[in-house]
Amino acid sequence: MNRERDSETTIEEDSQPNDEVVPYSDDETEDELEEQEPAVEPEQNRVNREAEENREPVRKECTWQVKANDRSFHEQPQFMNTTFFCLKESKYANNAIKTYKYNAITFLPMNLFEQFKRAANFYFLVLLILQAIPQISTLAWYTTLVPLLLVLGITAIKDLVDDVARHRMDKEINNRTCEVIKDGRFKTVKWKEVQVGDVIRLKKNDFIPADILLLSSSEPNSLCYVETAELDGETNLKFKMSLDVTDRYLQKESALAAFDGFVECEEPNNRLDKFTGTLFWRNSSYPLDSDKILLRGCVIRNTDFCHGLIVFAGADTKIMKNSGKTRFKRTKIDYLMNYMVYTIFVVLILLSAGLAIGHAYWEAQVGNYSWYLYDGQDNSPSYRGFLNFWGYIIVLNTMVPISLYVSVEVIRLGQSYFINWDLQMYYPEKDTPAKARTTTLNEQLGQIHYIFSDKTGTLTQNIMTFKKCCINGQIYGDNRDASQHQHSRMDEVDFSWNTFADGKLLFYDHYLIEQIRSGKEPEVREFFFLLAICHTVMVDRTDGQINYQAASPDEGALVTAARNFGFAFLARTQNTITISEMGIERTYNVLALLDFNSDRKRMSVIVRTPEGHIRLYCKGADTVIYERLHPMNPTKQETQDALDVFANETLRTLCLCYKEIDENEFAEWYKKFVAASLALTNRDQALDKVYEEIEKDLILLGATAIEDKLQDGVPETISKLAKADIKIWVLTGDKKETAENIGFACELLTEETTICYGEDINALLQTRRENQKNRGGVYAKFAPVMNEPFFPTGGNRALIITGSWLNEILLEKKTKRSKILKLKFPRTEEERRIRTESRRRLDANKEQQQKNFVDLACECSAVICCRVTPKQKAMVVDLVKKYKKAITLAIGDGANDVNMIKTAHIGVGISGQEGMQAVMSSDYSFAQFRYLQRLLLVHGRWSYIRMCKFLRYFFYKNFAFTLAHFWYSFFNGYSAQTVYEDWFITLYNVLYSSLPVLLVGLLDQDVSDKLSLRFPSLYEVGQKDLLFNYKKFFISLFHGVLTSMILFFIPLGAYLQTMGQDGEAPSDYQSFAVTVASALVITVNFQIGLDTSYWTFVNAFSIFGSIALYFGIMFDFHSAGIHVLFPSAFQFTGTAPNALRQPYLWLTIILAVAVCLLPIIALRFLCMTIWPSESDKIQKNRKKYKAEEQWKRRQNVFRRGVSSRRSAYAFSHQRGYADLIASGRSICKKRAPLDAIIAEGTAEYRRTIDS
Amino acid sequence: MERNSNDVRGLLSRMPDNTAFKQQRLPAWRSHLTAWAVLPGFFTTGAFFLGMGILLILSAKSVKEIEITYTSMCSNCAKLRENASNFYKECTCSVPFFIPEKMPGNVYMYYKLHNFYQNLRRYTISRNNRQLLGEDITNVENCAPFQRDSNGIPIAPCGAIANSMFNDTILLSYYPHSSTRINVPLLSSGITWWTDKHIKFQNPRSNNLPSAFTGTTKPPYWRKPVYQLDPENPENNGFLNNDFIVWMRVAALPTFKKLYRRIHRTGPFANGLPAGNYSFDIAYNFPVTVFKGEKGVVLSTVTWSGGSNLFLGIAYLTTGAVMWLAAFSMTAVHLKMKKRNIVSES
Repeated sequence: MNRERDSETTIEEDSQPNDEVVPYSDDETEDELEEQEPAVEPEQNRVNREAEENREPVRKECTWQVKANDRSFHEQPQFMNTTFFCLKESKYANNAIKTYKYNAITFLPMNLFEQFKRAANFYFLVLLILQAIPQISTLAWYTTLVPLLLVLGITAIKDLVDDVARHRMDKEINNRTCEVIKDGRFKTVKWKEVQVGDVIRLKKNDFIPADILLLSSSEPNSLCYVETAELDGETNLKFKMSLDVTDRYLQKESALAAFDGFVECEEPNNRLDKFTGTLFWRNSSYPLDSDKILLRGCVIRNTDFCHGLIVFAGADTKIMKNSGKTRFKRTKIDYLMNYMVYTIFVVLILLSAGLAIGHAYWEAQVGNYSWYLYDGQDNSPSYRGFLNFWGYIIVLNTMVPISLYVSVEVIRLGQSYFINWDLQMYYPEKDTPAKARTTTLNEQLGQIHYIFSDKTGTLTQNIMTFKKCCINGQIYGDNRDASQHQHSRMDEVDFSWNTFADGKLLFYDHYLIEQIRSGKEPEVREFFFLLAICHTVMVDRTDGQINYQAASPDEGALVTAARNFGFAFLARTQNTITISEMGIERTYNVLALLDFNSDRKRMSVIVRTPEGHIRLYCKGADTVIYERLHPMNPTKQETQDALDVFANETLRTLCLCYKEIDENEFAEWYKKFVAASLALTNRDQALDKVYEEIEKDLILLGATAIEDKLQDGVPETISKLAKADIKIWVLTGDKKETAENIGFACELLTEETTICYGEDINALLQTRRENQKNRGGVYAKFAPVMNEPFFPTGGNRALIITGSWLNEILLEKKTKRSKILKLKFPRTEEERRIRTESRRRLDANKEQQQKNFVDLACECSAVICCRVTPKQKAMVVDLVKKYKKAITLAIGDGANDVNMIKTAHIGVGISGQEGMQAVMSSDYSFAQFRYLQRLLLVHGRWSYIRMCKFLRYFFYKNFAFTLAHFWYSFFNGYSAQTVYEDWFITLYNVLYSSLPVLLVGLLDQDVSDKLSLRFPSLYEVGQKDLLFNYKKFFISLFHGVLTSMILFFIPLGAYLQTMGQDGEAPSDYQSFAVTVASALVITVNFQIGLDTSYWTFVNAFSIFGSIALYFGIMFDFHSAGIHVLFPSAFQFTGTAPNALRQPYLWLTIILAVAVCLLPIIALRFLCMTIWPSESDKIQKNRKKYKAEEQWKRRQNVFRRGVSSRRSAYAFSHQRGYADLIASGRSICKKRAPLDAIIAEGTAEYRRTIDS
Repeated sequence: MERNSNDVRGLLSRMPDNTAFKQQRLPAWRSHLTAWAVLPGFFTTGAFFLGMGILLILSAKSVKEIEITYTSMCSNCAKLRENASNFYKECTCSVPFFIPEKMPGNVYMYYKLHNFYQNLRRYTISRNNRQLLGEDITNVENCAPFQRDSNGIPIAPCGAIANSMFNDTILLSYYPHSSTRINVPLLSSGITWWTDKHIKFQNPRSNNLPSAFTGTTKPPYWRKPVYQLDPENPENNGFLNNDFIVWMRVAALPTFKKLYRRIHRTGPFANGLPAGNYSFDIAYNFPVTVFKGEKGVVLSTVTWSGGSNLFLGIAYLTTGAVMWLAAFSMTAVHLKMKKRNIVSES
């Protein structure tokens, strides 16, 4: 016991988790994580490995060699890998990408191979082979072949269409062009012709075709800006910088053509932010890192042109290496369906075995003495029984529905199209329809229990707009006119007086404009001046247009607001900022830039005005600012009140302040500043300390309020989903306050909610763990599982937990890794045993803890996890998946959600502000969060109901069809004689009974979409698996069995002693077959008619059409002409016309159909009268509902009035561009602009966008 | 299904079509099992079933039928046939019987076999339809084990079904007085389906039937070759022989009867068979006791609904009755629930 405690405490010993930091970066790839598994390594291997390591001491991984401008270098024999016998291929992939699977020649064999890998298809292939053996063949060869060909054909066509689309896509991408040095000059070549070692030129807005080492660019210091939206979803720009040496010498075309550098680097891998290598050039070597690498998939921005050396091409690029693993998702119903098919298969084998035994017995008793059955072979009865076993496997094979899988696929495909076509999930503003990217998961949408949602861009629009401000204790931003009168009418402010206004800001407070323009209150102008000067935004002026590049959208919003209010930030150099103040351009000297970081939560700038004053401007979170204010601030309280008001309106707030610094004080401080910035160790801490010294005694100017706009309809959607008993967890990288605020804004949290934080749960979990241990003791394993709730029942609880707490609670710690590494090679057997033992105990402990956590979290109505990494997001999803066995859905829009989207059962991507990464890896995508309710409550629910109806009916109809053979075998000596004509068996599943049920699977609606949305509780049938489970499955089978009995025994009774109207052949086999088959076709088609709750003309047409088709085909196949042509294939000549002439047979058919269907009608009627389901009730009253006026949506509850819940932040949690600005690298004069190239570049960019 | 980007709607080019089908708004009737549909439906169909049941029972009762199983009556012949060596020995047997009531109208004569598995799979497939079409008389594919005799000559008609053809001959005699005996005229025509007689079974083209079958031999269990089945009537000889055609249409169940003859309605039998004494004169050739089978003869009249099978009538009657019962109880339940709903609502 004690030892166990010890091992745990080593992990728990860490200090309290920090709520602010994201726990650790996600840099380790999955491969790396897998490697951690403590492998038990044989001694010999270890020795060998060590020897190897000694021989190649360092840099053994740098085996990738690239030589610039030398294509032949890469074709040397040592770079060739043998791929196929003697065919050799270079290990350097060329840049043509290939995502397609087949080409014209390989399509048929490969596609067939793929298809026969599926168990169902393989099963029918085996059957086909069995049927070819004459001794056991009991059905004509075409009975299985025709449906199988149909099934294979449909799937093949679908695959073909998919592959053609992929071919087209590949071709489009491979034929994009770029410029590469060839024969000493830049020439335009297609992407697919680009090779490793080529020197390439890229222009502004070009997509990068391969992974490239940046050599030089048009910008100073060969800086190059890239947008990495496709890779990580972040829209802000990143900069890359080349080596000094290449920057200096490789600007001209001739120099680039002569470049003969040699790069040695690591082999291609999937780590986007890692690169190690060396450039050898002119007899010296230069280290390379990921800052010098431009990755395929990014876009060049703000850089006229740049040059690079291709290091990885095509399949070797990081983006392609990353796209490798796509997990194949399957639905719950898929698994269930498979198990059911296995069940049926077992039933099939048991039935066949039973009938085979029956046959052996019959042969011994009767067959052996029947002289007319002599077949020339003296087989023993048991051998005949054995042959008959296989015979019955063939005859009864239709119990396993051959067209089940393909029909399911067709239905899902159709449902996916309905999702794509849905106008109510189409977002006209972006011209984005919803898209089902995976077509195999639809019915799972009707079974969701947990939704994991990202915040930014998913719940919110990720557009920050300046909404309100508080200047000098006065709140501006409400709707009022110039003379401070409140107006109910929204009247937009006119910014036309300001030449720099961008015309996009909507503002309704005319009084503020009045104040600015009149200049009555100097603080108002000072306020906006601060916004214009204190930031790290970069400006880009083209054609007189001003474009801002901000590290965070908040900052961009503030600078843009200042610009609209007359204080336009125009330009910056390393140490100046130019601002147009109400039309007058003034340039300020920037003396110091005190950048933002997540500890400081503020940023400052120290400038010297043209008049010579030194001033410090600072903006930051209110908590930090208030600590540093001068005690004599008159507006402190008013501003505090204003901040509370803003926070209650869920606005993101920020405090602004300034102070004057006298010359001496500054000079003294500046010395310290310079010293700190030159410090070699702990520079950041030193700088922070210095910053702290100057940022004090500040004078408060006011506060800003930015709206992080919620998307439309988010609260409604969330409350509706909550009513459907779906639990919503918000997982976000944002800070706790932000997340909490958003939780209130979208009504996930309400006034009544009790919020539990990390500390609270940790305490709860600790107690629980202790209890479990104490109670368990030695008999821990036998102790009953405790399910008592963590909280007293009742009351609305929410959980807000940060990533660090999550790690703490779930015992997921970095320290553990080193421990494991230490454990790796235990020396003795004893040691190894002890270690595995303790490890096992740790694992068990961790598992219990995780389970407890999930149990606890699931008791809360809402869970918000903030400050979590993408990996943690996925982990949380995985935990719920694992311990709750519930269906999960993850929704997000950015690259940081990809992990979670891929982990959840269903991933939904919002095609919104950020890049396409989330969408690319999602199963469904649409433009607005609010469409989720329609996707789940309407499409998901319908899909689930349809699929369940379809499956229940499908199993039923096949049992009703097949088991007639079983009953018949008691009357034909168990001889595997079929009840039906072979052609009927062939076509039953394909033609006579498939279309109506397919249409039900595609079109059925129990209640309309409006009612589905209005009564979210209807959704619960899917969550509880009520419509399709083993019970329903066995009921369907039982129904099928009964139907087959009725369909067989009623004609049997009628036939036993009878004769035709005209005395002719009264009870022959063929007439019997036709009678049973006709009754069957009519019964199953009417049955699906009964199951159909939404009768369109198509349904009616298909049901009666199927019956008509049956009779039509039967009369054709029983006609004289076809028999003369194929006497052995069509033996039933004349049966249909002769048999169906008898009123007696019609009466038999009517009776059989009626006896099959009437009890069902009666039962359903009784069920509906006595125990009506939710949907029955709604259906019954639908006219009433229709008459009622539209449901009034609940009033939003915004007011909370608890000031402590204020959020104060306006920075994203990454550093700004301050470093870059201070170093001055980006701000020198540009080199000669390549106007022509730019023009061409933009044109090309336009083309790419248009196409 | 993808829309063109140069759609006329320009900017909203990817907007889905607003059609009833794509928006799942197809006009439809929402089926719902309401009391107003179900209860009257049950009552009326119940009434229909009851009426139909009574009608069927009445008509089945009106059928006059006589069935005589003669295996035990001709036990000496049956014994004789158990030994294959007596194959060519003749054995006849006379079975007297009495018809208590007149059998009016058309009277049909059937032979009936018990425990004879004509529906056994390997038996039913042992035939060759192409040979029976008369096109290729030597085609004996699928006819195992009766394809060729020991000399390799193809058998016509080949296969197990043909080989085991029922070959008893049954004659019917009427005794108006104890001394007089009138042979009841029997017709062997009109006992097959038109399609069988005119399409499925055709003699090979030849002006002389025996020569048409040259190169083939008779099935091993037959006494005479196929072209001698009815030498007097070319329309009833060879593959066109009615008894042969009837036999080849295999029965669905191991107990079956097959139409053998029709009573020719002439002379005293113009209105059917009068009541009185009759006898069957049977040439007993077909062995059945070996496999515990039985043979019988059936004389029957028919009505619109066929023969004297009460099953269907009774089944209809019961179904109708159960439906009414169900309808009554459903009405009761419905009214009770309705009352409860009203109470709970108020």
